Amino acid sequence: MNTEMQSFIKKYDLLGCIQCGRCTGGCPVTVRTNLNVRRFVYDAKTIDEDTLDELARLPEIWDCTACNTCAVRCPKGLKPVEVLIGLRNILVESGVIQPTVRDALESVFREGNPWEKPRAMRSDWMEGLEVKIAEPGEKVENLVFVCCTNAYDPKVQVSAKNLVKILNKAGVDYGFIGDDESCCASEVHNLGEEGLFEMMVEDNTELLNSYDAKRIVTISPHCYSTLKNQHPDLNAEVIHYTHLLKELFEAGKIELTREFSGRIVYHDPCFLGKQNNVYEEPRFILNQIPGAEIVEFERNRERSLCCEGGGGKMWVESESTKERLADTRVKDAKELGASILAVACPFCVLTLDDSVKAKGFEEEMRVAEILELLGEIME
Amino acid sequence: MGDIFVLAEHRRGELREITLEMLSKAAEVAQQTGGNLVSVLIGSGIDSFAEQLTGYSDKVLYIDDPLFADFNAEKYQKVLAELLKQYKPDLFMIGQTVQGVDFAPALAVEMKMPYLTDLVDLAFADGKFKLVRQYYQGKVNADFTFKAEPPYMVTIREACFEIAEPSKKGAVEKIDSPLKEDIEYRRFIEYIEAEVGDVDITQSEILVAVGRGIREEKNMEMVLELANTIKADLCGTRAATDAGWLPHDRQVGTSGKAVKPKLYIAIGISGAFQHLAGMKASKTIVAINKDKDAPIFTVADYAIVDDLFKVLPKLTEKLKELVG
Amino acid sequence: MKTFVCIKRVPDTSEAEVKVDATGKDVDSSRFSFDINEADNYAVEEAILIKEAMGGTVQVVCIGPKDADVMIRMALAKGGDSAMRIEDPRINLIDPLKVAKVLAATLKDQECNLVLTGCMANDDGSMAVGVALAEELGVSHAAMVKKVEILDESKIKVHRELEGGLLEVVELALPAVLTIQTGINEPRYAPIRGIRQAQKKELKVLSLDDIGLAEDEVNEASSLIELDKFYIPEVVSTAEVIEGEPEEKGVIMAEKLVKGGLL
Repeated sequence: MNTEMQSFIKKYDLLGCIQCGRCTGGCPVTVRTNLNVRRFVYDAKTIDEDTLDELARLPEIWDCTACNTCAVRCPKGLKPVEVLIGLRNILVESGVIQPTVRDALESVFREGNPWEKPRAMRSDWMEGLEVKIAEPGEKVENLVFVCCTNAYDPKVQVSAKNLVKILNKAGVDYGFIGDDESCCASEVHNLGEEGLFEMMVEDNTELLNSYDAKRIVTISPHCYSTLKNQHPDLNAEVIHYTHLLKELFEAGKIELTREFSGRIVYHDPCFLGKQNNVYEEPRFILNQIPGAEIVEFERNRERSLCCEGGGGKMWVESESTKERLADTRVKDAKELGASILAVACPFCVLTLDDSVKAKGFEEEMRVAEILELLGEIME
Repeated sequence: MGDIFVLAEHRRGELREITLEMLSKAAEVAQQTGGNLVSVLIGSGIDSFAEQLTGYSDKVLYIDDPLFADFNAEKYQKVLAELLKQYKPDLFMIGQTVQGVDFAPALAVEMKMPYLTDLVDLAFADGKFKLVRQYYQGKVNADFTFKAEPPYMVTIREACFEIAEPSKKGAVEKIDSPLKEDIEYRRFIEYIEAEVGDVDITQSEILVAVGRGIREEKNMEMVLELANTIKADLCGTRAATDAGWLPHDRQVGTSGKAVKPKLYIAIGISGAFQHLAGMKASKTIVAINKDKDAPIFTVADYAIVDDLFKVLPKLTEKLKELVG
Repeated sequence: MKTFVCIKRVPDTSEAEVKVDATGKDVDSSRFSFDINEADNYAVEEAILIKEAMGGTVQVVCIGPKDADVMIRMALAKGGDSAMRIEDPRINLIDPLKVAKVLAATLKDQECNLVLTGCMANDDGSMAVGVALAEELGVSHAAMVKKVEILDESKIKVHRELEGGLLEVVELALPAVLTIQTGINEPRYAPIRGIRQAQKKELKVLSLDDIGLAEDEVNEASSLIELDKFYIPEVVSTAEVIEGEPEEKGVIMAEKLVKGGLL
């Protein structure tokens, strides 16, 4: 057995797997794809490098959304998801990957975002708003990390805009980074580009540490999870905006003046919920909305049904023709009679919104980020 | 003095539009220089073209020789070099086309001629040729002049100048080919028709794209009619392919394909960011959507803010009439 | 097969606002992001594919500043063997014939079977350098190539993509210069680790003296074209809104498509 194989097995601790199947049992995409992560963990340790290459070329490794349910459930503390990412890495290092993935990765390297938008336009969303920009070296309590998708995609820019309004109104000590902000690289890691990910972690750690920030406030759970868990040398504490908003509500700094009528169901984003155990803060905030009726999905909190936005899925279509998980989710929301499907992640907004349209449910419900809702009620 | 020569471009029995576009513009410039406007026609058995060119030129220099039955860049270069040495026009115009770019730069180097490409405008004033080209895909114009004495060579952008009505009565002058022998180091083999069948939309020249606005599969029929009329390939947003109206390899967007056709007609597409990313490189974008705030209009060149069910039938009908 | 690929560093201006600078003869590039010219990227991939199929070497050539090293290393990471970067402020880069002269001087003493370059640069759209280079080197050429077939060590067959997608098949004697059309292949990705490893490959930086060219052969004074000024064209590219009753709009649009040569 050569050293490449040995290091692959060692890296992912494949020999520790007892083949209990809890991973596949909890994997949300198994209902619609061929992905059997338990099999991959097994196959990846018992064969040679050529077959490892063959495994890497199986289309189902791209069905994984990196929701981490398998890692959460594994009784041996292994992370089967990382085996799949390791296989993706084999493909990435060979250079032969889907053009959409290639373009997204090259874009992160060149422009600091995966959407092929110019870096110079990253703060265009701030136009017309009073936004405090942080200065490196100056003390700032809350350094806000916007996220590439929130910065560039018109559909979700409202989250960043409304957060600015809330922070201004509540008199919070905050600062935004501006055009120097670069992708958290969460999806770069999930797509398997380890080299680029390491480079981004190093550069982002240096950039974020250059600000004298007490806390880094993220809007997207992907940024939250990756900055918190994969940036060991970061000085500041990393929180999600729902942590901050709960503090502000408890301190009486936010007033929700408008009445709201409607049934809201909250969808736990994988990267916030099951990966980082942030369940109650978003619910706390929604419960502050006067007149709102909050209901729960049957699959809530750690059992939340992944919307299939993460794990690089924004750039890779599954070969499966079975119903998208997001479609299932919005059907569930409709059955609950919810008029608002509330989320706290830009990828969830985009995938669930697509499903609402695909299913033709626009008359009955809409998908709204919590910040979007708050903005409507605060005006 | 002041003579302008224009190379006639033709292929497989058709005189290409760029020829008359160039001659129409050249006629204006020749008036400014006070010189003659001469068409240069090289080929085999294309007398009808020579005739047609007489309506646009003061003279047609016609080389009719089986050596030129098919285009060969090296042969053209040799012949044109001789013609330039012999006739010494002030300006030689060639199309910035697949044919033109295959020999014009080499000819310019051989003849050590001042050479400027892809002009969108030109004129002769104050004793000089004034030339305009563009940079950064049309975002910047640049004015140029030539140094040294003529002859000068320029290439002209296609579909830039209007074709005028024929108004001249030029004479055809048949001349012998200065090139007597065939060339071995470059040989034309054959033409291959553009592939029909499996469509790779990333290579399509004209695309008709559909989105949610189409509402149901049965409405795809009228879209198909439009596509067939203008020989376009079909593609769509994720919503359209998800709904099964089109196969998945026709999806345009960040998780689908990136396309760059010269014409993209977006029907019932709102223009979600992920879709725009896949098609904004299209040269010309026509968008039909009843929502005036649809983001597709931020990248469109032509905006039709209206009900596609009312616009589409008439669009197709008129196109059928004009295109045949 | 000893292949050379000539690549250019260009800005991505598809969404950027372009402003003319104070001199009026250049644009303000301070907010541009630069990368390898799109068609050149396809040329790099084609060269690597040829090397993978038949053996040989691929050398990368670029006229550009130090900032171009990143994209040169990417090409080396994909399979290039070594690179040469020519940097000299005296070269009049706006003149494609001068660019071709510089490339020719760089290549003339190299053993060179095939030279590939992109068919068009996205910044100036001249489509001139490749074919002019062939003439300078005294070798055969073909422009707008969509497919390359190596027949033997003395000749190749290429498909040129004509307007409308028609292909013209041409046989050429080697050595040859080919200008490569986009879409000829699917360029691979150069992973960061690969780019790091490519640091070990040779990247020579050359000046005009190193390639044996005198300043007065390639500078602005020696160019036969003269730039007066850059300016923003008057037409602003926002959408032209078609007016009228819905049915009329259809008719008007059809006319615009046909008369504007857009079909």
